[in-house]
This record gives sequence, structure tokens and C-alpha cells, in this order.
Amino acid sequence: MKKCTNEIEIVIVEDNKYDAELILLAFEQFHLVNKSIVLKDGAEALEYLFGEEGCVSKSFSEYPRLILLDLKLPKVNGIEVLRRIKSDERMRRLPVVVLTSSNEAQDVKMAYELGVNSYVTKPIQFQELAKVVANLGLYWLLINKPPRE
Amino acid sequence: MRTCEPKTKSLSEGSRSGFDMAEERRGHATAEDLLHERLEVLEDTQRATLNILEDFDEEKGKLEQVQRAAMNLLEDFDEERRKFQLIQTATLNLLDDVNEERIKSDETKRALMNMLEDIEVERGKAELAKTQLQAVNKELEAFSYSVSHDLRAPLRAISGFVGVLQQNYAPVLDDNGKKYMGYIRENAEIMGSLIDDLLAFSRLSRQPMATGEIDMNNLAQSVFDEVGKPEADRQIHFAAIQVPIARGDRSLLRQVMVNLISNAIKFTRQKKDALIEFGFDADQSAYYVRDNGVGFDMKYVGKLFGVFQRLHPVEEFEGTGVGLALVHRIITRHGGRVWALGEVGRGATFFFTLPS
Repeated sequence: MKKCTNEIEIVIVEDNKYDAELILLAFEQFHLVNKSIVLKDGAEALEYLFGEEGCVSKSFSEYPRLILLDLKLPKVNGIEVLRRIKSDERMRRLPVVVLTSSNEAQDVKMAYELGVNSYVTKPIQFQELAKVVANLGLYWLLINKPPRE
Repeated sequence: MRTCEPKTKSLSEGSRSGFDMAEERRGHATAEDLLHERLEVLEDTQRATLNILEDFDEEKGKLEQVQRAAMNLLEDFDEERRKFQLIQTATLNLLDDVNEERIKSDETKRALMNMLEDIEVERGKAELAKTQLQAVNKELEAFSYSVSHDLRAPLRAISGFVGVLQQNYAPVLDDNGKKYMGYIRENAEIMGSLIDDLLAFSRLSRQPMATGEIDMNNLAQSVFDEVGKPEADRQIHFAAIQVPIARGDRSLLRQVMVNLISNAIKFTRQKKDALIEFGFDADQSAYYVRDNGVGFDMKYVGKLFGVFQRLHPVEEFEGTGVGLALVHRIITRHGGRVWALGEVGRGATFFFTLPS
């Protein structure tokens, strides 16, 4: 069981291990790998965030700084995870970026209705994916000013 | 009748008394007086008879009048009776006609009811077919989506990790190693394009058609401006003649023009002065896109519009071979025909009809 710790700044919820690894490779350039954790389905994500020793029980400054969320996940899908995060008093200020291969209009609509911060579709070429992910990391962790407690 | 004078009365009392009176008067009267008396009596009788005759005449006259009036009445009555008979006949005819009309109207009503029933049945069938079609389309859409999504994931892994290898392990690879990695990347990219094209083809085929009027000249020019990016070493001339307004789905027909004009641009790549023409052939009622590019051998014209059919090697001209199949699908959906003429080295002309 993966416990929520202060060191972890990026939560990647991705069931495809190859995509997950590519994303981590992209983060490598920014030395963010050690600060990332990969959760492989929606249930694990909810456990990590809202479980007994989940992040929610900690102080806000210990929360992760960015959540990369795929939509097509086993057990509990990404939309459901997004809904839980955005309806929690404390969690909803966390930036959530949906990074998914789904380009379906209703998924985009639903995600924005639930308050997603950004919706990005996974490009086919790795180069593109790496660029996208790196930009995301750069933006949310380094450029964007996070909310205070 | 006039009443007689007492003289006459005395006559009726019997001729004897009269005769006696006359005998009595003989003593005092002459034969002349007797004659006068007899003449007076005769005159009286005459007058009375004449009066009676007059009265009788008058009565006869009155009777004749009555007779005539009665005859007239009878005539009038006859005429009225005749008229009445005519009306009777006419009314009976009317009743017959009305009855006939009523029977016809009943028949018509029955026929209409039958037609309505048939229409209802047909409508029910059409509704059912529509529902089934919608269900099939939904399934196909879900199928295509999941196929493309599931096929893309491993492609991303292949392309991605080869990219990592190329980036991070270049020093460890010799020339062949680098070359083969390039091959893997290229093929992954081709497969990605194939998937995208197939998905687009499938989706476009199932799109509902909206019909409107389209200015084909406008469309052709706008498409050329969009896809005919100026290239460094050559000039692409676009010439169009006035063509008739078409009726069809704007976005689908735009796709047709994009595919045809892009092809024309692509296959004239080796020509210094490429010429692409858009026009309308009145004899065949067909629009055409013509180019003076590499052309094709008419021997293979039957393969042109097949899915993934290509007549040129992909190193010479990129593309998955879905473009013309899409054109064929769209034009067929509009009820039109599409065909092509080509000559190797001289160019190609693509014709399509759009029935109004």
C-alpha cells in the first residue's frame, strides 16, 4: 500500500505501464522522478488520497503539487477520481491535469464540468508526449503559484 | 219569368170562362176587339217565351262559362300534374345519384383506410429499421473508437521507447543499429496514420448528411488556399472555370475537394510548373479536378478507389491510400458517380457528378 508522504509532489494515475514509464522519463530532465509516484488504477488513487493514511489527513503543505490523471482506468475510472478530488473541501485546490488518449467530446465536457484544471490528449509520438509532460511539470511545479493553506 | 197579367190568369181559368167573357163582350165588342185580345195574349205568350229563351240563353251562356272555366281548371290541373310528375322523376333521379355518390364515397373511404393502414405498417417498419440502424451505428462508433484507442497505445510505446533508445543509447549503436531503429519509428508512424485514416473514414461514412446549396467555385478556391502551401522550388497554378451550384453536404464535399486537390498537388510535385484545374464538363454533367502531374496507368484504374490501394510506392509519394476511397464513399452517398482518366507522365483528371 502506497502511503502519502511529503516528498511526493507528483501523483501519476496511469494504468498503462509503458505510458507511465515514458512520462517518468520525460520528468527525468527536471529531476522530478524521485518526487513522483505512479498509481495503476482509480482504487489505488482514492486510497492514496482519501484512505486511512491518505493525503487528506495531512496538512495542506504536505499535499502533492500536481496530479496527472488518465481517464480510462481499471476499478474506478478517472472521472470518478476527479469528482472525488474536486468535491473535497481541501483536495479541490490541487491542480489536476487529465492526460489521456480519449478525445471524446463528452469526456472533455464532463472533466471541465467537474473542475479539471487542464485536459491534455496523449500524442502518439513519444517526443511530443515528453514535451507535453515536461511542459506540464514545469508549469505546475515551477511557474504556477500554488495556493497557500 | 215574368208573371202573367191578370188577363193571362183569366186564360188559365179555363178557356170556357175566357170564351164566356169573350161571348159576353161580344155583345159590346167587335171581332176586331176579339182579335186584339187574342193578339195581346199571343204577344204576352211570345214575350214570356222570349224572356224564358233569353233566360235560358243567359243560363246556357253562364253554363258555357262555367264549362270553360272547368275545362281551364282541368287543363291547369293537368299541367300541374305533369309538372309534379317531372319533379317526381327528377327527385327520384337525384336520389339515385345521391345514393350512387354515397356508395362511391364509402368505397373511397374504405380505400383510404386501407392505404392509411398500409402507411402505418410501412412507417412502423421504417421506424424499426431506423432504430436498428442507429443501434448498429452506435456499436460501430464504439468499436472504431476502442479499436483505434487500443491500437494506438502499443504504437505509442513502440515509437516512444525507440525514441528513448535513439536519444540515450546513440553512442552504443552502430550505423545499422541507428538505421533499424529509424525503420521501427517510421513504421510505427505509418501505422499511426493508417489508424487515424481508418477512423476518419469510418466516422465520415456514418455522419448524417445535411443538404444545402454550395458554391463550388468558392469551395475549390478556399480549399486550394488552405492545402496549396507555396513551395520553395515550384509554382502551382490553380485555374478554375465557372461551375454550377451544387446541392449536398458542405463538410463532406469539402473533404472531397481537399482530397482531390491535395492529391493533385502531391502528384505534381516533380513538375516545375504544376497546373491544377477545376471545372465542369457539361456533356457529362460532371465536376472535374485535373492535374498535369505524374498520372497513372489506365490499366489500374479499377484499383484507384479501393481502400488502402496505392499505385505508387510510398517512398515516392506518401499517403495511406484512403483519400480516394473516402471521395468515392462521399460522392456515392450523394447519389453521384466518380471516375478518373490518367496518362502516365501526363497527368490525371478526376470526375464526379452530383445529382441535384
